[in-house]
Amino acid sequence: MKTLDRPRSTAATGPPEDGTRAAQPFWTSRRRDQLAGYLFIAPQLIGTVVFVLIPLGLVVWYSFHEWNVLAGTFHSVGTDNYHKLLDDPKLPGVLRATAYFSVGLVVLNLSLALALAVLLNQKLRGSVVFRTLFFSPVVVSLVAWTIVWGFLLQKNGGINAGLDLIGVHGPNWLRSEGTSMLSAVVVQCFKNVGLNMVLFLAALQGVPRELYEAATVDGAGRWRQFWRITVPLISPTILLTSIITVVGSLQVFAQIAVLTQGGPSGSTTVLVYYLYQQAFTFHHFGYGATLSVLLFLIVLVLTVIQWQMRKKWVFHES
Amino acid sequence: MNTQRQQRTRKFAALAATGLLALTACGGGDGSGSDDGPVTLRMTVWSGAPEHLKLLNGIADTYRKTHPEVKSIKFDVLPVENYTETLTTQMAGGKAPDLAWIFENSALDFVSSGALKEVKDDPDVLPAAKKIWQQDGKLYAYPFSTSPFGVFVNLDMLKKAGQPSPAELIKQGKWNWDEVDRIGAAVHTKTGKTGMVIRDFDYKAWDNLATYWDGWGAQAWSADGKTCGFDKPQMVAAMTSLHKAIFDDEAMLAPGTTADFFAGESAMTVTQMSRASLLTDKFKWDFVPLPEGPEGKYAVIGQAGIAVLAKSKHADAAAGFQAFMTNKENSAKLGAYFPQARSSQLNAATLAKSNAKLSEKQLADVVIDGIKNGKVKPVHIGQAEIYAAVRSGLDALWKPNADVQKVLTGVCNSIKPQLEQ
Amino acid sequence: MSRKLSTRAKLLLYGILLVLCVPFVFPTWWMATSSLKPAADIFAFPPKLFPDNPRLDAYRKVFELQPFGHQYFNSMYIAVVVTLGTLAVSSLAGYGFARIRFPGQNILFLVVLTGLLIPSEVTIVPLFQMFHDWGMIDTHWPLILVPVLGAPSVLATFIMRQFFIALPHELEEAARMDGLGRFAIYWRIALPLARPALSAVAIFTFLHSWNLYLEPIVYLSTPDMFTLPQALTQYVDAYGGPMWNVQLAAASLTALPVVAVFVFAQRQFVEGLAHTGLK
Repeated sequence: MKTLDRPRSTAATGPPEDGTRAAQPFWTSRRRDQLAGYLFIAPQLIGTVVFVLIPLGLVVWYSFHEWNVLAGTFHSVGTDNYHKLLDDPKLPGVLRATAYFSVGLVVLNLSLALALAVLLNQKLRGSVVFRTLFFSPVVVSLVAWTIVWGFLLQKNGGINAGLDLIGVHGPNWLRSEGTSMLSAVVVQCFKNVGLNMVLFLAALQGVPRELYEAATVDGAGRWRQFWRITVPLISPTILLTSIITVVGSLQVFAQIAVLTQGGPSGSTTVLVYYLYQQAFTFHHFGYGATLSVLLFLIVLVLTVIQWQMRKKWVFHES
Repeated sequence: MNTQRQQRTRKFAALAATGLLALTACGGGDGSGSDDGPVTLRMTVWSGAPEHLKLLNGIADTYRKTHPEVKSIKFDVLPVENYTETLTTQMAGGKAPDLAWIFENSALDFVSSGALKEVKDDPDVLPAAKKIWQQDGKLYAYPFSTSPFGVFVNLDMLKKAGQPSPAELIKQGKWNWDEVDRIGAAVHTKTGKTGMVIRDFDYKAWDNLATYWDGWGAQAWSADGKTCGFDKPQMVAAMTSLHKAIFDDEAMLAPGTTADFFAGESAMTVTQMSRASLLTDKFKWDFVPLPEGPEGKYAVIGQAGIAVLAKSKHADAAAGFQAFMTNKENSAKLGAYFPQARSSQLNAATLAKSNAKLSEKQLADVVIDGIKNGKVKPVHIGQAEIYAAVRSGLDALWKPNADVQKVLTGVCNSIKPQLEQ
Repeated sequence: MSRKLSTRAKLLLYGILLVLCVPFVFPTWWMATSSLKPAADIFAFPPKLFPDNPRLDAYRKVFELQPFGHQYFNSMYIAVVVTLGTLAVSSLAGYGFARIRFPGQNILFLVVLTGLLIPSEVTIVPLFQMFHDWGMIDTHWPLILVPVLGAPSVLATFIMRQFFIALPHELEEAARMDGLGRFAIYWRIALPLARPALSAVAIFTFLHSWNLYLEPIVYLSTPDMFTLPQALTQYVDAYGGPMWNVQLAAASLTALPVVAVFVFAQRQFVEGLAHTGLK
């Protein structure tokens, strides 16, 4: 597997292909290869333009308009929607809820995934069974999973019944502001942590055993080995999983719609839910589009930051 | 190894081909006919119940026999939870249906925006039932379902808890919310079950509470929609009483819990007559009018309308079908599932034919009085936004020791801008 | 860190794993068993682990109330087509970006990457209009075309690119010497080597399609065309009250077969992942 650690720069220079540069017609092998390159990426590129960029452009265009779907009116309002965005008294709360959900989910999901992966990576009979069990929620339909947790988190539901057994009186999970968002994070985490766990497990199995043996000889404890050897070596996976999880967490919709519908008191109204509400429930399509632009910018900035950070701490990039 | 790989490749290609075949078989076809020739009508509804669709399709088939220009009439079932959102999305994308069921809570939005086409008025339909579907004296939807709220009672459970039946209380003139509160608390202490459930409220759909606060003469906002009613004394009194019943007496379903009356988990429930279809013979039951409040007797109705969309490409054909579907004869058929607010049909004998589960007395007491005198739940232009703001504001009320007056003043502050628009 | 463990450590480990299992397994268990209970028993407090006298009524109703079999087929075939399509598109693009040099490559890669950043809720209205213009509303095309070509496949392309970048290019050199063209190299050399990455992409894609919720609601309006997540929310009585046990029965039917397939296939899948370039 050592080839996988090849520095990226190899790809940047590409395979040497200009060995045969004799006098040739227009279609040199290099030109032909370039054409092949374009053809290879064409479906994805055209798809991105048609199904992502053009719609995105339209969304930006809508954001400068007031659009009443019911009345069928559509007229330009300049930057009004952006002024409204800055003055929106609900927006700070929405952004706070979004940050709470995303940070909470990323921290909980990644640490639990890594912990499970490390546990399962021990030489243990039956770990395949556990691996399957931890992964199984990933394949359960999201709506079904959320509906079931909605039942379990009721005041008189399964979770509190379980807590009663050990003498704890559980709170009203989905109905109190202190626990509603926590519940949403936990439900989402258990749903998808298996995916990250498997990715970490794959990465852990790729760490050469000799490194640990050498470290043990040097007298390094397990904890130290984990931080000095394991974490750096699997850092590319940490980067990939954190990007996927962060971007995914900002797109949470069905869970909120099924579990809490943004309540209580707006405590679980995250950005996507809020923009869905503005556009589709309140019929403010123009303002909904403005919120979409905001969401896009947030995701863009976060991803750029993460991508930049990889140079600092992703091991094999250096 | 190479042949193995080729085999795999071939398998892959075969799979892909099968997929594409399936795709063309299922994804294709069904071009929505919008040409000028034979007309195809599409109507969105929120009930996928087979008996409802059978009824609707039956009416449609009869209509097509006399109207050959209408090639087909299709009923599209949209999920009830986000019915209005889905409908408006279709309209935003330029694919408005020709006809649609409209919920009462979005009635004013649809009517005032000009999204609906005027429909034929019928003097047989009670004026009170038409109110929210009218603007400037014109009718924009036929109220095809006018369903009064009443109280279903589990007589077995009341007996077990040693409580009098509502019928006795009505005779004694004591069927009121104070008594319901007392009975509910007793049921909860003695059986561990829930006393009273205001169905579908679930601490979210607050407009269902109109079945409670109307008894105090409270209202969400003034009749002209301009003044907030939540901070008025009647509302504060009603909500204080409700809060006590929920948190101090534990007579009502608590937030974050579920108890289904029809599954035998609560002694009483406030809901519409149409839910009688959910009753089984598991327990003895009764259906009675809403209890009296401090302001005396009152009634509340829920509504839904059948409308023609102004954007329809075949608005005239759609209007023709709408008129046919809601004429006297067909509305009697609709009456089997959806109570009709027509003076000609508003007698217990007619109603009893289509409501096998309810006795004539039950129908006369709750349904006929209800449809005649009932108020609709609160509706307003910009309903969805107001609705969400009130829901969010009221959340602070649904915990022990809430400051009722303060919460309700806060609700008013949060909806003032929309009310004044 | 895979060293021999003492018996005590092993017991401790098993204990931890068992406790951790509960939140992963219990909801599915509860879903499956509750679907066998009469509606009244679902909220019994405290909940029962086993139904007293299991009944299959709810399952019969699942098929009575909706064309559930048809909807199952819809979800299944859409997910399969989307998965195959995504594998083709993303492996081509991933290979192109990773192994072929052409002018504008980095810019174009960034252009494609924007797809990773845009939640589907953001573009649903313009997309709805486009598909309407193309006459594709209430067909399955939007649920196939967007995932295969649009934003969701970008993640797949990203994974494929990362994998192909790491492939030693000596393998390709040899093939070039033999006179193979680009496509032949991709098809006969790169793709077979990429099986682990492809399997990872396949499972991501399948699950994404399987779970799609907002899009079907927006694009589809005929029960015969519905997909499963959409169908699940349709089990309500005529007046909008949910039918809990029927809903749970339908939910069990959507979940259990997929879980079962995973149980059988997971060894290959996880071990496949272990060899991808995802580390």
